[in-house]
Amino acid sequence: MGKGTFFFLISFLIAFSSLAQDQVFFTGFFPEAAITKKLSNGNKVNFKVENQEIIFRNFENPEDRWQFRHYRTDLMAFYDWKLSPLSSMALGLFYRVQDGSNAYRIIQQFATLDRFRRFRIGHRFRLDQTFIPNDAVEYRFRYRLAMDIPLRGDEVDPGENYLVISSEPIFGLQEKEFGLENRFVVTLGKLINPQQKIEYSVDYRTDGFFQEGFRTRLWAKIGYFYNF
Amino acid sequence: MRLTFIFLIIILFSGKAFSQKKVEQEKRIKKQDVPEIALDWLQDSFEGRKKVRWYQEISDQGLSFEAKFLWSGKFHSVEFDSLGKIEDVEIEIQQKEIGSETESNILSFLSTEYSEFRIERIQKQYSGDEDDLEEFFEEGEINSLTVRYEIEYIAKTASGNQTFWEGLFDQKGKIISKREIEIRIMDNLIF
Repeated sequence: MGKGTFFFLISFLIAFSSLAQDQVFFTGFFPEAAITKKLSNGNKVNFKVENQEIIFRNFENPEDRWQFRHYRTDLMAFYDWKLSPLSSMALGLFYRVQDGSNAYRIIQQFATLDRFRRFRIGHRFRLDQTFIPNDAVEYRFRYRLAMDIPLRGDEVDPGENYLVISSEPIFGLQEKEFGLENRFVVTLGKLINPQQKIEYSVDYRTDGFFQEGFRTRLWAKIGYFYNF
Repeated sequence: MRLTFIFLIIILFSGKAFSQKKVEQEKRIKKQDVPEIALDWLQDSFEGRKKVRWYQEISDQGLSFEAKFLWSGKFHSVEFDSLGKIEDVEIEIQQKEIGSETESNILSFLSTEYSEFRIERIQKQYSGDEDDLEEFFEEGEINSLTVRYEIEYIAKTASGNQTFWEGLFDQKGKIISKREIEIRIMDNLIF
């Protein structure tokens, strides 16, 4: 990542954090790493760790300083069945480590890829059920549309950068309460070599549209992907 | 916090830990970086206004240049060698444009080889001497040109495994060669 990109991310974070004082807002650092193993039958196994560190401040009290603390860590494992060279179906298990609110989740998904001359579009349809002790089960449906654009030529070759722009609406249902969330992500990625990728993203999440307290969350993400 | 730290360490070292393979590369270039003869050939053979995107390719066969543009509604791709000498012209076509005899030969090859297949993309490839090629695109004389079909298809083998292929067929639709196409891994788009 160039120095420019870094300052861009930081100023983006600061700009947003001053904008959103009367609503619920938080921001933070979101590193993630994933390992994908391709099996001989074409199916894949994936492990992923996501870690959210939040930066927050109480605006009511001007004396308060910015604080930084661990918010949650998510561990995920998927088994992905190849349906065609361009589509697959997966089952996933998820465990969340969060103060007082550890959770389990099971995930079912279908993903497919459209290839165009100069970019690719990935579609991901996901159903998940989240189990939190002493709480009702949460059911969600998510659809992610992601556009993957090479930044040098029409194909991403090793050593080259790419851009991914994605939007993912998430519909949730928990004890008759309906929720809607959207995740908009802009990613600058680099294909280090055919096995490895590194991605820097700004992930902007909005929810609580129907409930009181429209919430926005803004994350500076850094992701590492390894496949073999 | 400790986890974050471990992540950072992994990321810092990741780029260096694994050696790079032989790189095949394609990049967008400006018109002024293209050999003069290539520009001239293209101007003479496809006279008129067109928006050309130029690319430079480095493969195990060396350096080459490629021009991509739309011409009378069809997607064209013209390849030149490192000195700018024309090598071939590829035009994307529809299946019905192949011609019935050739088409049936291609389809019968695919149906004998695979239990199921789906054609994704067809390119008609013209190669030959540079003057003959120019004449063909100016006047339509095909005399001494080699015509081939480059076809991308998804096929299911007897074992039930689906794979992506690029097959090269001659003018009559007889298979010359095929290779498996590797789709760049989309782990970041799936998980």
